Amino acid sequence: MPSGETEPPRIALRGIRKSFGSIEALRGVDLDVMPGECVGLIGDNAAGKSTLTKIISGTYVADAGTIAVDGEQVRFTAPADARAHHIEMVFQDLSLCDHIDVMGNLFLGREMTRWSFLDNRRMKARAREMLSDLDIRIPNLHAKVAQLSGGQRQAIAIARAASFQPRLLIMDEPTSALAVAEVEAVLRLINRVKARGVSVILITHRLQDLFEVCDKIAVMYEGTKVAERETRRTQLDELVKLIVGKGEAI
Amino acid sequence: MSVTYTERKTGSALADFLTEKAQVLSIAAFFLICVLFFTLATDVFLTAGNLLNILRQAAPILIVAVAMTFVIITAGIDLSVGSQVALVNASAALILAMGVPWPLVVLAMLLLGAAIGLGQGWFIAYQGIPAFIVTLAGLSILRGAALYMTQGYSIPIRDVAGFFWLGRGTILDIPVPALIALAIAALGALVLSRQLYGRQVVAVGSNPEAARRVGMPAKWTIASVYMLTGLASAVAGLLIAARLGSGSSNAAVGFELQVIAAVVLGGTSLFGGRGSLLGTVLGTLTIAVIGNGLILMHISPFFTQIVTGTIILVAIWLNTRIFTANFSFKRKT
Repeated sequence: MPSGETEPPRIALRGIRKSFGSIEALRGVDLDVMPGECVGLIGDNAAGKSTLTKIISGTYVADAGTIAVDGEQVRFTAPADARAHHIEMVFQDLSLCDHIDVMGNLFLGREMTRWSFLDNRRMKARAREMLSDLDIRIPNLHAKVAQLSGGQRQAIAIARAASFQPRLLIMDEPTSALAVAEVEAVLRLINRVKARGVSVILITHRLQDLFEVCDKIAVMYEGTKVAERETRRTQLDELVKLIVGKGEAI
Repeated sequence: MSVTYTERKTGSALADFLTEKAQVLSIAAFFLICVLFFTLATDVFLTAGNLLNILRQAAPILIVAVAMTFVIITAGIDLSVGSQVALVNASAALILAMGVPWPLVVLAMLLLGAAIGLGQGWFIAYQGIPAFIVTLAGLSILRGAALYMTQGYSIPIRDVAGFFWLGRGTILDIPVPALIALAIAALGALVLSRQLYGRQVVAVGSNPEAARRVGMPAKWTIASVYMLTGLASAVAGLLIAARLGSGSSNAAVGFELQVIAAVVLGGTSLFGGRGSLLGTVLGTLTIAVIGNGLILMHISPFFTQIVTGTIILVAIWLNTRIFTANFSFKRKT
């Protein structure tokens, strides 16, 4: 970073609004995420967390407001537009194909081909690198995804999103269905992704996870961002109060 | 106190192989049992002449079953293939009767089949109408069109030796239709397991939303598999016309059921995502062998319909119950 100049945020949202019929899902949300920063997005159900991430990933189009990636104004009308700006999302349902093997899922939609034939040898070598880069241990690349544990499936979904030079990685509830050791592994994975300069937006209901990986926590309530806290300057009970709408007391 | 950790060993490759191929192995075993049974029950079953005859008769079913495997892997179904065969069969005979050169007719019929299939695929993929409904409508419309064009008469084809060779000829004693069918099956297997298109078909069948999210052309993939059944039905219709030397709107009645039975018997899952072309080949041959064997045993030809239906039911039952993980004959307590 050149001295004296401040780096533009990796993504800057201003005044994002979105309605579904008469319901205002988002009522003017601002959010900045810096490069290599992890922002936790928390809030009650229907607070607008998922709608916001779907707007960032191009699944929904905002009714009003602007999005800037690295200081440059962008407009996303389809998931492919967001992908072109290196914004990747790990969905809550993981979006894996059970009938395709580990390697095939890692390269889903990005298959390497030679004369329209799948280039399995090249993909296998690259898949090994992708997994070992993130320290994920899955011995058999040809195992069908259906045979794997929840944590391994999660790891594959994250590896897939993290391995193609993303600039922003959005994760929707990556740890909700996992066992203790698996949660630890996923959090370590997020820290490794961050260390490579990738910005992360993390949606979670497990507030204790936020303190392990996030730099900043944004609290949403009824379609607005009610608070933003630096992780090291806040406590669990403060977050809980903010989520349930008793933040005035603080 | 020390704690020892041990790593889980990688399971034996053989066990994985057996689980993975359980469906194909079981249909292969069933096929061999059928062959053995009819060999013992009749004198003529296991003769070169009869076996080649089975191959010749099974060829149209196999060709369409290869395409149907792709359709069913995307969790779709195409009920209109029998009607498409009849329409192409009748149209080819009508146009040949006008004196148009046969290679042109073949080309035109392939285009017609592809266009019909793509039309149905458009309704299914881009308009979101269930495949069952679209192709059920197609079954009625296309058969109706064939009947209307021919007014229900059989149209004779005369003096087109080159065209007849497609249905009646042999290369090294093997019937030409069988060679065409096996070549198409081999091509289908290659595309399904090794090519990008095959991967897209499996992905769309396994998890359509995931395929869309990773940027695969999900809708086009779904539409295109119906184009394949259209194309395959055209090939089958032409081969039937060439073999019988006539075109009829009553050709291939109940054909769709034989095709679907063959595919499902071969272990392709009706819920999408999983399928095998080797299984489809074995399934087709099994149905052909049963049909042929029952006739050789002088059992009423109507009975084969009952058997075909029963096979579909039992195959789907096995498909959904036994070949899922952790199956046990014991009741769950």
